[in-house]
Amino acid sequence: MNQPRVCSNIEPDIVASASGDSDPVTDERVQRHIDRCPPCAGEYQRYRAIEGVVGAIRRVPIPTVAVGRARKRLEASLEGLRHRTIAYRIFPSPLGQILIGQSEQGVSLVEYLGSRGDVRHSRLAHMRGVEAVEDGAEVEARYRELMEYLEGKRTRLEWPLDLRLVRSDFHRHVLSATSEIPYGAVTSYAGLACQVGKPTAARAVAQALRWNPLPIVIPCHRVIGTSGALTGYAGDKLGLKQQLLSTEGVRTQKTTIPRNSMYVSFPGETFYCLPSCSWIPTSEHPHRLIFFGTRDRAEASGRTACGDCRPDLHPLTN
Amino acid sequence: MGQQPFETILEAHHAEIYRYLRRVTSRAAEADDLSQETFLRAYRAYRALPSDANVRAWLFTIATNLARNHFRSEGRRSRAHAAVIVSRSALDDGAGPEGETLFNETRARVEAVVERLPLRQRLAFILRKIHDVDYEVIARSLDCSAETARAHVFQALRKIRQSLGESQQMEIQR
Repeated sequence: MNQPRVCSNIEPDIVASASGDSDPVTDERVQRHIDRCPPCAGEYQRYRAIEGVVGAIRRVPIPTVAVGRARKRLEASLEGLRHRTIAYRIFPSPLGQILIGQSEQGVSLVEYLGSRGDVRHSRLAHMRGVEAVEDGAEVEARYRELMEYLEGKRTRLEWPLDLRLVRSDFHRHVLSATSEIPYGAVTSYAGLACQVGKPTAARAVAQALRWNPLPIVIPCHRVIGTSGALTGYAGDKLGLKQQLLSTEGVRTQKTTIPRNSMYVSFPGETFYCLPSCSWIPTSEHPHRLIFFGTRDRAEASGRTACGDCRPDLHPLTN
Repeated sequence: MGQQPFETILEAHHAEIYRYLRRVTSRAAEADDLSQETFLRAYRAYRALPSDANVRAWLFTIATNLARNHFRSEGRRSRAHAAVIVSRSALDDGAGPEGETLFNETRARVEAVVERLPLRQRLAFILRKIHDVDYEVIARSLDCSAETARAHVFQALRKIRQSLGESQQMEIQR
């Protein structure tokens, strides 16, 4: 191959200057040099010519059809990815570290991480078909609302929900019925089983709530044993259940709910009663009853005082 | 505050990144796969990108990294070259005024040299000379200093120059 004759000490500068890739000081030095060095002047011209050819290569179009096809395929993949993505963040709360996850469709996960605020301990880390992305922006507002809720300044979390992490249609059904339990009220697993049309499935209902991906938002803490026992919550987190209920005005005694000192109603009923009301059929379906900690809560759920027992005239004293 | 939606990024940069990868890989299918992977990665990382970041430079960095991984197997790379040289010379076979034909021959020769450059030199050359990417960005993409990136481009130009020799084609200026 022909070795071009060029002064080697200044060659990189000549190349840079000829291809428009140098600073004015270098350009000037190169100009001064090539003015008195004909071989380098020749090389400079040749590199200028190469620059012209490179410019032509730069202008060679790539068929827009190919670009369009690639773009179309990419958009389809992005759509799939977007659909799989759950953006999450882990926040501190009075209930320990809480992870909130949200997809395009809505909030899909609220999870207690205890003191280990690490996504590796989260369900997200073991879920197939889910892309977990840490991102504060989208869930930040949810977190603020959740905090207001935990402080008792808010009684509803009206979030769009994404129930993709719910395990089965039956679970979905149970969670939907659970969402109907009013703020400040409790009912039993057996009662919920009746609500979903499977009166003997109290245990299956408890399992469905155990896997509730959206605790607090879907208020599984409002479901207790038929005996009034708190039973369980999020594994072994009975304390959290007590805390949540107490925020809503439901007192607990040790690990039971003192139902005798609560107002009583039925799902879908329009009035509420004293526990002693003769209208309450104690023998029939007692597990279907729902209990309110306070009259305010019962009335906020749209119920009015029973005309027989008049809880408005004879409020319970605690 | 807040970022632009990712669609805007796609709209602004997809065609250019595709073209870049098409030049680097020289096969439509590979460019297709690599550009797809570039933007899927970008989508995943986009939320964490500072809102004042240079998105174009960032995308070139991702694309270049993917291309480097792609070519890690040298065998694959030589196959790609063979394909390109054939297709390009076929393309340039058109009749035309003498000067134009000569110019096209030179262009084909320059492209052939670029195809045969060592990977880093080739990437640095294409980034700098075809896509006008800053040396700092090239350096980041190739895990080297800006000086080294500059040296890669210099070496590439030097090889092009050597391959053209003293032939008359060099006299043609456009």
